[in-house]
Amino acid sequence: MGLSRRDFLKTSIAASTAATVGMPLSKQAEAAIKEAEKGWQWDKAVCRFCGVGCGIMVATKDGQIVATKGDPDAPVNRGLNCIKGYFNGKIQSGKDRLTQPLMRMKDGKFDKKGQFVPVTWEQAFDEMERQLRKTYAEKGPSGIACLGSGQWTVQEGYAMNKLFKAGFRSNNIDPNARNCMASAVAAFYSVFGADEPAGNYDDIEYADTMILWGSNMAEMHPILWSRITNRRLGHKDCRVINITTFRNMSSDIADLEIIIKPNADLAIQNYIAREIIARDAVNWDFVNKHCVFATGPYDIGYGMRPTDKYAFPAERDTQAKELKVKLDKYEAVAQRRQEGEVVEQKNTADPARHWLIGFDDFKRAVEPYTLDFVAELAKGDPDESLESFKAKLKQLADHYIDPKRKVLSFWTMGFNQHQRGTWVNEQVYMNHLLLGKYAQPGNGAFSLTGQPSACGTAREVGTFSHRLPADRLIPNPKHRAEVEKAWHLPAKTLNPKIGSFYAKILRDLEDGSVKWVWVQVNNPWQSHPNNNHWLKAAREMDNFIVVSDAYPTVSAKVADLILPAAMIFEKWGAYGNAERRIQHWRQQVDPPGEARADIWQVLEFSKRFKLKDFWGEQSVPGLKAEGFPDGKLPSVLDEAVKMGYSPDASLYEVLFATSENKKYKWPDPIAKGHDNHVVRLLGDGWFPEKALWQEYVQFGRGKGKDLADFDVYHGDKVRGMKWPVVGGKEVPWRFNEQYDPYVKKGAGFEFYGDLFKTIPKGDLDKVTDPTPVSVAGKAKIFYRPYAAPVEQPDDRYDLWLCTGRVLEHWHTGTMTRRVPELHRAVPAAVLWMHPEDARARGLKRNDLVWVESRRGKVQVRIETGGRNKMVRGYVYVPFFDEGVLINRVTLDATCPISKESDFKKCAVKVYKA
Amino acid sequence: MNLSGIVVVARPERLTAVLRELDALPGIEVHQVDEATGRIIVVQEALDILEEIEGLKRIKALPHVVVAEMVYHYIADDRQVYADLPAELVEQDSQACAVPACLND
Repeated sequence: MGLSRRDFLKTSIAASTAATVGMPLSKQAEAAIKEAEKGWQWDKAVCRFCGVGCGIMVATKDGQIVATKGDPDAPVNRGLNCIKGYFNGKIQSGKDRLTQPLMRMKDGKFDKKGQFVPVTWEQAFDEMERQLRKTYAEKGPSGIACLGSGQWTVQEGYAMNKLFKAGFRSNNIDPNARNCMASAVAAFYSVFGADEPAGNYDDIEYADTMILWGSNMAEMHPILWSRITNRRLGHKDCRVINITTFRNMSSDIADLEIIIKPNADLAIQNYIAREIIARDAVNWDFVNKHCVFATGPYDIGYGMRPTDKYAFPAERDTQAKELKVKLDKYEAVAQRRQEGEVVEQKNTADPARHWLIGFDDFKRAVEPYTLDFVAELAKGDPDESLESFKAKLKQLADHYIDPKRKVLSFWTMGFNQHQRGTWVNEQVYMNHLLLGKYAQPGNGAFSLTGQPSACGTAREVGTFSHRLPADRLIPNPKHRAEVEKAWHLPAKTLNPKIGSFYAKILRDLEDGSVKWVWVQVNNPWQSHPNNNHWLKAAREMDNFIVVSDAYPTVSAKVADLILPAAMIFEKWGAYGNAERRIQHWRQQVDPPGEARADIWQVLEFSKRFKLKDFWGEQSVPGLKAEGFPDGKLPSVLDEAVKMGYSPDASLYEVLFATSENKKYKWPDPIAKGHDNHVVRLLGDGWFPEKALWQEYVQFGRGKGKDLADFDVYHGDKVRGMKWPVVGGKEVPWRFNEQYDPYVKKGAGFEFYGDLFKTIPKGDLDKVTDPTPVSVAGKAKIFYRPYAAPVEQPDDRYDLWLCTGRVLEHWHTGTMTRRVPELHRAVPAAVLWMHPEDARARGLKRNDLVWVESRRGKVQVRIETGGRNKMVRGYVYVPFFDEGVLINRVTLDATCPISKESDFKKCAVKVYKA
Repeated sequence: MNLSGIVVVARPERLTAVLRELDALPGIEVHQVDEATGRIIVVQEALDILEEIEGLKRIKALPHVVVAEMVYHYIADDRQVYADLPAELVEQDSQACAVPACLND
């Protein structure tokens, strides 16, 4: 490349950059851009990575992506990109991209013990079909499963959800979002009766104090963090508080850093509530009009298996606590019991049940959470004085309570991946509601999402084992009937029994109750805790595992069949971010080789089955529901015939390529010259991504979840829209009359979500009057006690282990480790450790060590400096590195209510390798 | 060759000092400045992107720099670096999708 060309390019890049951030351009600069970008086609798209949902612009030329830039018109990121976002255009070009189906074969036939051999799509689907039929005949709908993703596009998740629930009549479909957001969801349901935040990212520009609870935003949500940084520097009185278990990058700009012990967040929030009451700062006008008080049982277990039958000998002591727990001195005070008391965990089967209490009960419950008590329990840094820590807790309470300050709380995995994740989410609303600081610009509690469409796909579409589209629930007969009507299914087609949640599907594989599983857009055999169990189950049990992925992940390698998937810009799709913003994009380039979009895989596979294969009577062990015989799904074939279906009709015709959907034809002018490989391969002229979108939007309209039409999102000027979209307008703050047309006139606020809004009455310990009372329109202020982590450091395993991400890598590194720049920036996972802890073990920086728990061990190098500063007694290992499978070490306890795994705390030892 | 467009925001009252510091950094050219808002557009040229990321970190570390983020990435010429895969991902090159060694210990 000649010098002049390079200089010219630079001028053009500078001009483009300036234009992106809205700086005025000279005529010369504009001409330079025009010349350099000759023949490029720019189109709007969205970032593939975290839940922030940044807009990016993608330029293509001759079927290749030639450049990407931050989208200046995107309200989320205003032209900026973080380092991962910067490389969106490259993730599809890794050298080891999968381009053809691979199946384990021996002597020309599928063999679980065989080596991977390239096969045609036809051969791949033949075996997949044969195996599904075999398992279905043996075990019925409960024997098959799908592990899905918050990284599915909306349409992909919708198609797979419909195939499983309506076609296969199985609710064993659950996304990895279970391990990311389920605790947030459970609390949105229990507190407000509806999923997802009231506010939006613009809250940042109104807030006076921003409080991070278990969220290292600087690394994990860098662009949102840049908005917080701007607010902090541009608004004199703005303050940032970082509550964390170790010093991370978010502490750099924080005015107050509070280092706490694992699970101490439960106690600190009750301390704040106690202060609010003690200082007479309850906003009674708000609370009386819009809130009620509630609580539930404490003895709910830890989401582990109830039996030690499958436990390794070393993990039996931890597992035993699923049944009985001996209270430590802090739990005893916090739960008004005696230290050393052994509490049988009696409410593991229904941990979410709850009842109304009075304010006096609530006040009595938070009374033990004095500053002295909580400070002693919560202080996380052994090198900090108790007095200094107390002063910080007091300041924290001051910030929440100060009537002049607008307060915004943020959290991510520190709250969600938590053995009491639902409780700790409920508690953050407890304080915001007590103060009336919620659902107003700058006053809010904001659950950030980890994945690009955890909200848009997993939650809103309802690709969980207990959910249906738009906040409908599987056990609710009215909700099932609404969905059956919308999908034109005979009554009782849908299975009323909640399916297996994500961790349970893996446990089902281990004990042989599930024998056929399809994994899309996620990597469970690297990302799920206590992984030695699941690795063994995959390779040693009699089952058939299909993994659709773009790269040979750990999960692909332990599977039986690998299907090559198309990546984000190789297909049409839509994602929904953390602020309820749905954004669509077009296919930019073709997938390589025979790689194909997940939605094509679902649709094509559905052609192989007929209604009569699944819609006859099916045995479902444990099914108990009104109107259903015990243990059985009735045959709906007669009803289907009455509705005009032939029992020989294919699932493809009945569920997807319906006459209604086929009205959305391809080509469509909205494509503006962009291709669609899914349409091309299906070959029957309809536009599935558009048709399924239009089918999907009917579920939320008129129910506070209104989405716009497909073409609206593809408008040149539109950069996503926050639902509900009412009369063409977005709702920036829900539940607030000023902004939300769903709120009754004159109400001021109305928490109109309708889930779990009739509950019994009781006191702090039990239900006293089982007659259900309606609390329609109100939010619940929950009392939830402190509970200790189920496994804590002891003499044998003397350190806390926490896992998570690093800035440069996305989840299990499937995509980002294929971008050499990102790989070189952070090539391998390290174990961050306090230098004194290292010294005490005769270790120094960069030594290779074993990190070992009751469940497994891995080798890793240690780091005693760098971006994360550990406190003594605490180590951190990120999970992106397939060479350091840290999830062989982690514990698979979950929040018993949300079933979300706790990746943030277990006990390990570290010694020289 | 790697080229990237970076937007730098400096505290407006310290703009001159920040510009001086930027000029002294290797591979950095200042292209445009908005004095009122403290925004500076720079283009960075680096041998490989590791160097480029290091360069961005250097800018972020300058005193009085409030924001420095990459905005524009030119891709065309650096496809050859895909030869470098992480070591444990290379092993499968010889044997299509073998169960990786890291699962066998």
